[in-house]
Amino acid sequence: MTSETLSPAPAPAVRISRPWARFRAWALEVPLLQVLVVLALAAWLVTAIPAIANPRSVTSILVITSLLALAAMGQTLVVILGGLDLAAPGYILFGAFMAANVAGKLAVPPAVAVLGTVLVCGGIGALIGWICHRFSVQPLVVTLGTGAALTGATLFLADGDYSSAPPQALRSLASLRGTTFGMPFPPIIMIVLLCGVGMWIFLNRTAAGRRFHATGVNFRAARLTRIRTSVVWTLVFAASGALAGIAGIFIAAYGSGWSQTIGEPYLFSGLAAVLVGGTIFGSIRGSYTRTLLGALTLTLLSTIIVSNGLSEAQSRIIFGIIILAVVSLYGRERHVRDRF
Amino acid sequence: MNRVLTLFQRWPFAFALLLALVLLVLNLAISPSFLSPARLPGTLATLAPFVLVGFASTPSLLAGGIDISVGPLATFINCFFVAVLIPAGLGDWQLAAPIVLAVAAGVGALNGILIAVVRLHPVVATTGMLFLLVGLSLTIAQNPVAAPDNWTEVFAGGVGFLPGALITIGAAGLLWFSLRRTAFVSNLLATGESDVSAYGSGVNVMAVRILAYTLGGLFAGIAGIALTAIVQSSQSSLATTYALLGLAAAVLGGTSLAGGRGGLLGALFGAVSIYLLQQLLTASGVAPSLIQFAYGAVLVVGVVLGATLLAPRLKRSAS
Repeated sequence: MTSETLSPAPAPAVRISRPWARFRAWALEVPLLQVLVVLALAAWLVTAIPAIANPRSVTSILVITSLLALAAMGQTLVVILGGLDLAAPGYILFGAFMAANVAGKLAVPPAVAVLGTVLVCGGIGALIGWICHRFSVQPLVVTLGTGAALTGATLFLADGDYSSAPPQALRSLASLRGTTFGMPFPPIIMIVLLCGVGMWIFLNRTAAGRRFHATGVNFRAARLTRIRTSVVWTLVFAASGALAGIAGIFIAAYGSGWSQTIGEPYLFSGLAAVLVGGTIFGSIRGSYTRTLLGALTLTLLSTIIVSNGLSEAQSRIIFGIIILAVVSLYGRERHVRDRF
Repeated sequence: MNRVLTLFQRWPFAFALLLALVLLVLNLAISPSFLSPARLPGTLATLAPFVLVGFASTPSLLAGGIDISVGPLATFINCFFVAVLIPAGLGDWQLAAPIVLAVAAGVGALNGILIAVVRLHPVVATTGMLFLLVGLSLTIAQNPVAAPDNWTEVFAGGVGFLPGALITIGAAGLLWFSLRRTAFVSNLLATGESDVSAYGSGVNVMAVRILAYTLGGLFAGIAGIALTAIVQSSQSSLATTYALLGLAAAVLGGTSLAGGRGGLLGALFGAVSIYLLQQLLTASGVAPSLIQFAYGAVLVVGVVLGATLLAPRLKRSAS
């Protein structure tokens, strides 16, 4: 994980390979590879289908990217902490339920629905984080169980009604014809960009962000520096829940409706966006900027795949190969021999 | 009370066994014909895929890793057999069974190589494999394809007195318990407990890991056959359900996610508990959405119990 920073550089080769070593360290520090891949994919897409370079198609790609990035935001934080949040489909389903059935059918003000989603999903997330920390159990299973329970409870509350649509106020936030302060793109793109900037400031420029990274990289060391790891875990899982719930609201608003399985595709695609972006479990280089790039890569890639006449199923295969290939490049763990 | 706790701590599967017994009694109270000889083969046949996917998740967990691709592997084998092998005229059991099991073990071995040799994080490697397998299953058979009459029907019914499901579960169990006679299982547990110490004691950690994932793949292959036996069609949509069920069964059965503790017997009782819980709630007319709720709640409670009351010692460091 942090082998580059821990192992001293071999002395004799330093003079010869210094520029290369410095370049390599720099390239690992910033998401250079991801930016290059995004540019290459965009170039490929434009040369393959020149007609796609119009504002409408670009907006559509960006909106889909924003939804994926929003759904993957909480997952990014949890992965940096060294866990995995499999409850995301449950949160997304609950958010979609609040947007469509509560705000849409029962005509509850959208702000109240959003607040309700944040409170419920955040509360459940906080409970998960506290349980995982208190009883030192793997988040994987606890989130799996809570996700299933939340999905079941939401479907029970919905009582078979999947025909409602979110109110116009919510739909205009994510619809392709929406405008942001007169600019010709829907507000969701701006919201996700602002989230990206905010997250960068939080992770890199605040003490809380550094404490969070420290807990992810080395739990015991963080506790010995008197970081309250229990609070970190609780807050991170709460944030993951609340963010996935909000993503659910936007996903329902974009699709003008919802279904029982609305959250499923976002679990593994969201995780793929995090991994392709270059955030690995408990890694110091993990950041939300990388997830944004990862989401853009995946969206461009699936556009290319679909435009080449391949099916959704084949795009899954390619996603799988890409995850394995990308992570083999930079996410390898140390050999047992070196930890001995 | 302390004696009961000690018993639970000594036998990781005791909790799941107790849960399964309680649920069995409740099931019998609601529908007394639950265990009648006429229904038994059918009941066991629907139970078999649960149990086998639970088995398939266990070796990788014991080795200190995790394999979330065993469920999709089982459904992939189901699609591969129904939509590729049978139309190609390779549906006889002499040909199909070895091919299917070899493919499943090969996918498992590939997982093992990605984790032990390429040294990817187990979750990452098996997530990638999950994408691949789900994509392949959907490519082979987007919509369910009905299977013609074939040899797997034996495992849904019975051979004479013997329910067919006992053959599939028994084959996997027999393989595991004969492996317990070798050094492999103790090396596997040592690797899971602490791979560094195992390496220092001369265990070939890399080979043990690859073998563990291969064994998981083989069990998933048997699960695919058991699944084909009951559905008799290709069901690519079951992949995610089984991915989660297998893990749940293993964990509920007391197999530690940190590695080195647990076994196949735990996965058996864990899977039986989950199955009986679903049966109980279905029989008492509870809405399917609430069944899912109960299943999630049982999983969380089971894990927390396993980590607190039932653990041999409280570990002070979180993962």
